[in-house]
Amino acid sequence: MKQYVFFLGCIMPNRYPGIESATRRTLKEFGVELLDMDGASCCPAPGVFGSFDLKTWAVLAARNLCIAEELGRDITLCCNGCYATLQEANHLLKTNKELLEEVNKQLASIDKEFKGKINVRHVMEIFHGDIGLESISKSIKRPLKGINIAVHDGCHFLKPREVREHGSSERPKILDELVEATGAKSVEYKDKMMCCGAGGAVRSGHLDTSLDMTREKLANMIAVNADSVVSPCAFCHLQFDRGQAEIKSHWNIEFNLPVLFYTQLLGLAMGLDAESLGLRNQSVPPDKILKKLSSK
Amino acid sequence: MSLTKNQVIRFSDLNVKFVNEVVEYGAKIFGKDAANTVRYCVQCGTCTASCPAGRRTSFRTRQIIRDTQLGFKEGALTNDDLWACTTCYTCQERCPRGVKTTDIIRTLRNLAVREGHIIPEHKKVAGYLIRTGHAVPIDEKTKKLRVKLGLSKIPPTTHKFAESLGDFQKLVKKLGFDQLVGFKEGTR
Amino acid sequence: MRIGVYVCHCGGNISEVVDVEEVRSFAGKQPGVVVARNYEHMCSELGQKLVVDDIKEYKLDRVVIGSCSPQFHEPTFQKTLSGAGLNPYLLEMANIREHCSWPHFDKPEAATAKAKDLVNMAIAKVRLNDPLEREAMPVGNRVLVIGGGVAGIQSALDLGDAGFKVHLVEEAPTVGGRMAQLSRTFPTEDCAACILAPKMADVAANPNITLLTYTEIENIEGYLGNFKVTVKKKPRYINLDKCTNCGICTTKCPVKVPDEYNVGLTTRKAIYVPHDFAVPLKYLIDEKACLYLTKGVCRICEKVCPGKAIEFNQKPEEIKFRADTIVVATGYDPFDAEKKEEYGYGRYENVVTALQMERMVVFMAGGRPLRDLGKRIAFIQCVGSRDAQIGNEYCSRVCCMYAAKLSQMLKRGNPERDIYVFCTDIRAYGKGFEEYYKRAQATGVKYVRGRVAEVSEDPKTKKLTLRVEDIFSRQLLELEFDTVVLSIGMVPSNGTSKIADMLKLARSPDGFLLEAHPKFKPLDTLIGGVFICGCAQGPKDIPDTVAQASGAASRATVLMNKGEVDLDPVKAFVIEDLCDSCGLCVEHCPVHAIKVSSVANVNKALCAGCGSCTTYCPKGALVLRHYTGDQLLAEVKAVLASKNEGETRILVFADYTCTYKLSDSVGTSRMPYADDVRIIRVPSGSAITPKLMLSAFALGADGVFIGECEQKFSPYPNAVEQIEKNVSTVRGILEKNGIEPERARSTVFATVMLGGFVNQLNALSKFVKEASSIPPEKRGALDEVLQQEGST
Repeated sequence: MKQYVFFLGCIMPNRYPGIESATRRTLKEFGVELLDMDGASCCPAPGVFGSFDLKTWAVLAARNLCIAEELGRDITLCCNGCYATLQEANHLLKTNKELLEEVNKQLASIDKEFKGKINVRHVMEIFHGDIGLESISKSIKRPLKGINIAVHDGCHFLKPREVREHGSSERPKILDELVEATGAKSVEYKDKMMCCGAGGAVRSGHLDTSLDMTREKLANMIAVNADSVVSPCAFCHLQFDRGQAEIKSHWNIEFNLPVLFYTQLLGLAMGLDAESLGLRNQSVPPDKILKKLSSK
Repeated sequence: MSLTKNQVIRFSDLNVKFVNEVVEYGAKIFGKDAANTVRYCVQCGTCTASCPAGRRTSFRTRQIIRDTQLGFKEGALTNDDLWACTTCYTCQERCPRGVKTTDIIRTLRNLAVREGHIIPEHKKVAGYLIRTGHAVPIDEKTKKLRVKLGLSKIPPTTHKFAESLGDFQKLVKKLGFDQLVGFKEGTR
Repeated sequence: MRIGVYVCHCGGNISEVVDVEEVRSFAGKQPGVVVARNYEHMCSELGQKLVVDDIKEYKLDRVVIGSCSPQFHEPTFQKTLSGAGLNPYLLEMANIREHCSWPHFDKPEAATAKAKDLVNMAIAKVRLNDPLEREAMPVGNRVLVIGGGVAGIQSALDLGDAGFKVHLVEEAPTVGGRMAQLSRTFPTEDCAACILAPKMADVAANPNITLLTYTEIENIEGYLGNFKVTVKKKPRYINLDKCTNCGICTTKCPVKVPDEYNVGLTTRKAIYVPHDFAVPLKYLIDEKACLYLTKGVCRICEKVCPGKAIEFNQKPEEIKFRADTIVVATGYDPFDAEKKEEYGYGRYENVVTALQMERMVVFMAGGRPLRDLGKRIAFIQCVGSRDAQIGNEYCSRVCCMYAAKLSQMLKRGNPERDIYVFCTDIRAYGKGFEEYYKRAQATGVKYVRGRVAEVSEDPKTKKLTLRVEDIFSRQLLELEFDTVVLSIGMVPSNGTSKIADMLKLARSPDGFLLEAHPKFKPLDTLIGGVFICGCAQGPKDIPDTVAQASGAASRATVLMNKGEVDLDPVKAFVIEDLCDSCGLCVEHCPVHAIKVSSVANVNKALCAGCGSCTTYCPKGALVLRHYTGDQLLAEVKAVLASKNEGETRILVFADYTCTYKLSDSVGTSRMPYADDVRIIRVPSGSAITPKLMLSAFALGADGVFIGECEQKFSPYPNAVEQIEKNVSTVRGILEKNGIEPERARSTVFATVMLGGFVNQLNALSKFVKEASSIPPEKRGALDEVLQQEGST
């Protein structure tokens, strides 16, 4: 199996290390080795810092990409936002000569040069592509039969389609397949492809708008009796988990829907315990899904 | 009885070169072809109808592009609605003319920030980034949780490597980003 | 030699940039030029009269005209010469507009210098032009019409009525095509079947038309006046003489499959008649659905048929025939709405296409509605058209009007219905169209400007919710409907793609068939004798289709009435004294036009005029008339003559079919490019031998570029391969002699690649400017190589 450098970002290491733990443990089971990216910073967040100054965004992203280039490995990561930044910056720098020149001029001041030697792959691509659905199914020790999962693809894993290689963004299948490989069922719900509301500096700038979108999505998921939300993005994860606490305090609406990152779900199905997956340290307790699991 | 307010827009009220400014700025990052797509909009409204933020705010995606095309520079850049977009890319995916709507919105936001339109909440996030290298820096609670989960107490990022943080901040200063967002040393 | 040179102002198009007096004066000084003039409009009557008068007065025997591209007025000026008693091939045109004043509009000095070079080149060539005669080739009276929709039907009837012998080939079991599926036609609301059926019957009854239905084209070879057509008539498995159309077989057949005539809304049996006004009104067995033909069981129809007409042992019948001309009328396919995933077609049962709605309306009119459409009906416009994400950027032309039609028919059928049309805009461009749209509004159909972003389905009620912005009020709408109709556009049909590949017909960027000239030859193709009409050429409504069909028939008639067509004299020919019958040319001719007896002999009808053979003849015995090695070399010498120290020159050999036309388009679009480029016209780049290219370098060229058609659109088989070989040979020799091999290049072009052309030439110009100039010794060394290598 290939080696990857692990880009951590901000949310996962600094707020939801359970995702990091779950990802490291599950990838290890499949023989995927993760190297540290020493000195990496915020990607930087595409909707926030890309909105303030795109040149800064490109330069800081390039610095992160250089760390991986120096290690000679492709990057993998657990956040759609980080994916958007690093994948897109990598692509733009490889195709826009003027931008490359500008960025390298800046990087020269810290003795770095972007060469365009590596690729950026979301951890979902590793599971679906490198590892494969069959291997995943075989590794399941605790099939999640009867568990209804509301899959939330998020936005930047699939879009913009031109710069991604995952096919249709209207009715994608990758994440549903990955979830169903654990034995769980991916349920259809209204506006499944809708954004969680966190991105584009909206969470920081207009929390009410942001949370209203989250509220709408959660309501749609509850309406089809989902047992949990599963997403491939640490930021969506925060928005759904912490967001439920905020929605409760702002509007007194309670959903009590556990929020799992894919590797946390997979970890459960592979027989890992909820504790080591960090599930007990989230805003919404995982009881709803754990109860259903234990009753089987 | 006061005079009625003039309702008519004349060329003197418009900045007809604004769209060129947007294209030129956007071209530096996204390339000339992508940035130029702002000219292709035929105002069909697919973007607005796809927008999840539009359904709960006064934000109308199509209007932003319209204002850019026609030359309502001030309207486009001072509009709060410009910041309601979550950059979900649904509009850009569906636009039948191939307009890079989301990327153009980010371009407009850049131009707005350059003119000093940035809210305190965003300045705060920028402050975190500049000070620590992270938009969401680690806190004590999470350090403990990391240890409990068998991870390193401090993640191997700019939180841990002072030299890397130094490089990061050097770039930030060189790019003038700190000045752009009104960052002041030693403040929160 | 007595040459007359005329420099046209082109009403300012040339004279505003190029100093026409300077060019005229320069021309006047060239050896052999006895009169040089400049004039406002050479193509006008007065302009032509100038030439005619001069031919008489000055006893001119050659004429050069510096003007617009030969694409436009070469035939004009050729006629001028003929009229004055001079052979039309003693004319050369210097393209000083599209290749000069237009692209270099901001560089008058450079443009004037280039114009002088181009005129010099034309003078050098015309000196070596031989008078050539156009031989006549017989064209008979046999036409193949491919496609039996309304276009093919109209064309066939016009041709049959005019007395020509027509084969009308249709792959479906009945003629009628798409129009036969429609309910009424806008804006008059004629019943489609009622007006089409008589024409269908006429086509079957016309004594000059051989109607072949359920027949596929297997192969077409040959050329105008001599097309060899092979078709495969598929077996119906029914003896048509014994079948009485009683229909008992259909009632008893146990197999049900979706009925394609009703777009899957109903079913039909494996043994069936396509519909009740099919022509021929005959039964057939669908061999993909029939249990016996697929699995060897059943045979019920055979048992019950009173006439014993079922014949399971029928085989496909191969039919061969000849045609002199061809009309391609292969129509369109409806856009596959499943591709527009946002609208849920194929997943949501109440989302239908407009073609399905046509069928539903027909059933409703007959008192047997297929389903309850509910109260609220929405039409979504531009589905699969004007959509960069789908990849069809064009407008399909008919959807605004058919939506106005279907919506008002549904409204009139039940005024309780609430009907909406969601559109970006309305295109009501034709006769009676705007009035018809107004009538739809008057009937109560509601138009909303706003393109629907997505359709979702209520899982319980199966009703559909549309998300759309009402542009004018800036309101976001989420509206629920009982039925949603997708106004799907047209895409080139499968049949069109198949025939295009078979006949090597060029396509426009939108995938429909490409006409020879967008304004003046909308129904001709680049292949002589092959005409196109109807939706195969592009989306259009029935009146336009019928007009084009009659037009194509007329174009074919012009050729066939004449009874003969002039053969282009630009062919290879053998200088018998030089030929030693080695036979190398025979194996290298891509169309097998050469045979060797005592000397080599070229079949003029087969020869494509590509010039590939000239590369191979070691004795220089094969030349391409009008583009001989000597003529091309003279052009190269003349166009390089003005080069000064420190300047660069790029020679571009442009094939006339594609690259030359492309370079004209670049000029017409006023797209600037490097002004050291000099374009030389050839029929095909395969006529440019390695020897000629090396001579060009030896004589001062800094870069040599060959532009050629994409092979699949090229009338010259193998040209691209031949050119690549030649360029490769030249690069090898350049490199051996210490010259950068990248100075010699070739590229394939399509006529729409304007940006590509500009980029490639600018790149080569930049390359040669940045490289150090080729020192005279190295150029001299090439000369020596040329002496040694002999003729190739």
